[in-house]
Amino acid sequence: MTGDATVLVVDDEPRVCEAFELWLEETYRVVTSTSGEEALERMDGSVDVVLLDRHMPGMSGDEVLAEIRDAGYDCRVAMVTAVDPDFDIADMAFDHYVSKPVDSETLESVIDRLLGIGQYDTHMTDLYGISQKITTLEAEKSRSELSRSEEYADLVDRQQRLEGEMGDIMASLGADDVEQLFEVAAGREREE
Amino acid sequence: MASFGSSKELGVSTGELDSLVQDTEFFRSLVENGSDAIVSIDEHSTILYANESVERVFGYRPEELIGEKLTTIMPDRFHAEHLDAVDRYLDTDERELDWNDIQLPAEHRNGEEIALSITFEEHSYEGERVFSGIMRDISERAEREAELERQNERLERFASIVSHDLRDPIQTARATLAVARAGDEAALDELDGVFDRMEDLVDDVLTLAKQGRTVGEPEPVALASVVADAWETTDTGGATLVVDDEVSTVAADRERLRTLFENLFHNAVEHGGDGATIRVAALENGFAVDDDGPGFGDADPDQLFDYGYTTTADGTGFGLSIVDEVARAHGWSVTATTGEDGGARFEVVTR
Repeated sequence: MTGDATVLVVDDEPRVCEAFELWLEETYRVVTSTSGEEALERMDGSVDVVLLDRHMPGMSGDEVLAEIRDAGYDCRVAMVTAVDPDFDIADMAFDHYVSKPVDSETLESVIDRLLGIGQYDTHMTDLYGISQKITTLEAEKSRSELSRSEEYADLVDRQQRLEGEMGDIMASLGADDVEQLFEVAAGREREE
Repeated sequence: MASFGSSKELGVSTGELDSLVQDTEFFRSLVENGSDAIVSIDEHSTILYANESVERVFGYRPEELIGEKLTTIMPDRFHAEHLDAVDRYLDTDERELDWNDIQLPAEHRNGEEIALSITFEEHSYEGERVFSGIMRDISERAEREAELERQNERLERFASIVSHDLRDPIQTARATLAVARAGDEAALDELDGVFDRMEDLVDDVLTLAKQGRTVGEPEPVALASVVADAWETTDTGGATLVVDDEVSTVAADRERLRTLFENLFHNAVEHGGDGATIRVAALENGFAVDDDGPGFGDADPDQLFDYGYTTTADGTGFGLSIVDEVARAHGWSVTATTGEDGGARFEVVTR
């Protein structure tokens, strides 16, 4: 299934693009861009997963993400970044948040998971993205910061609502599948 | 046999002590000379009584306050709310706030706000309801708390810098190594540059940590000489320095001031290039550093002084944070504007 999947790597550091390509090219078709503007030019319907740096000169990763979603591409996006995730990620339409530095194993497992989730309907991808944000924030923020955050409370609400709506689909998947899909991001352990 | 200090040993009999305590003079003196300010008001917030300590806390003599409204010693923004709250309390007898050790700001005669801890009491006197506030000036405590909070924030930001701003170059180093292993050995030469960048970051973070401390006793420093020193220790390439004749002296910690200039010069050369001309000029209330570079362009002026904010690929983003920290440690302020010829201009107000 993954053999013909296309991954778009966006990072302003050319060596990072090169290395990601080296790590991934045996398993996927890899396209790289060293700027947000270039990434949008390379973007098309064939791209399945985007690995997107946040802090770039010119167009930022956050802006690229918004453009990709506005254009309606059906692809999964992982932010791969050194930027500390803050509560503002609640409103960003990515599917996964990966903290730099990453190695090839982490990248491959994130991509595999995103390709897996991509087979299901939008409810599932929504739920996956929301669960990702909750996990990311829980790893980064203290209990008291979380309890004071409206964004966090809202994410938890949305997660519960979606889980309720999706009860049937989840049941049909079987516990193992669900666990595998929603397992805490590869390479990232819950701190508590 | 253990014997605790009885009233006998103090040279006062139990009976004498009782009568002493019952003596109104005793109470008057206790209340008048206590370290807390005490103010009593009637139902209309008119001050009925104020003790001697109000002078130390509020700058008014007790007799200046008696007969005035309590709002005299309140910041304007609390006036209406206070009068409403008293009315509501008189109507309902329901206390809307804790009467014990509540923190509220008051206003000193000189217009400055003072942080107070207040405990309210109510009693009735000659058929009237009387409300008293026992007030302690906690400005110093509040300042210490604010300072601690500032330090904690700074520590948090440092932790964040060290953990996150170093992640990017680590990723680049790892990526470069992977590329080299795959056959492109020339890529290894780039690692020096990546490690230099990480070293710069660590150096800057350490400098920043030191600049955050408050300055020692400031001394008059000749600006022209500290500017010349800073210029010498900054890598300014072919840039030109012009120092106006009017610049004189400023009360400062000389070493820290030199760090401030070094970082301003570095910033000007970084953005203005080798051919830049940098000018240090006197201001009526401080000094300014101008350059003839491209100015701030798209850079967000609100973010310029933020930790880690940079528009160049190899900048650490800490230079202007250091400038800001040095200025603040001296009690100065620094602002970024656009100079007459479109370059960057930093104005440091020292008084």
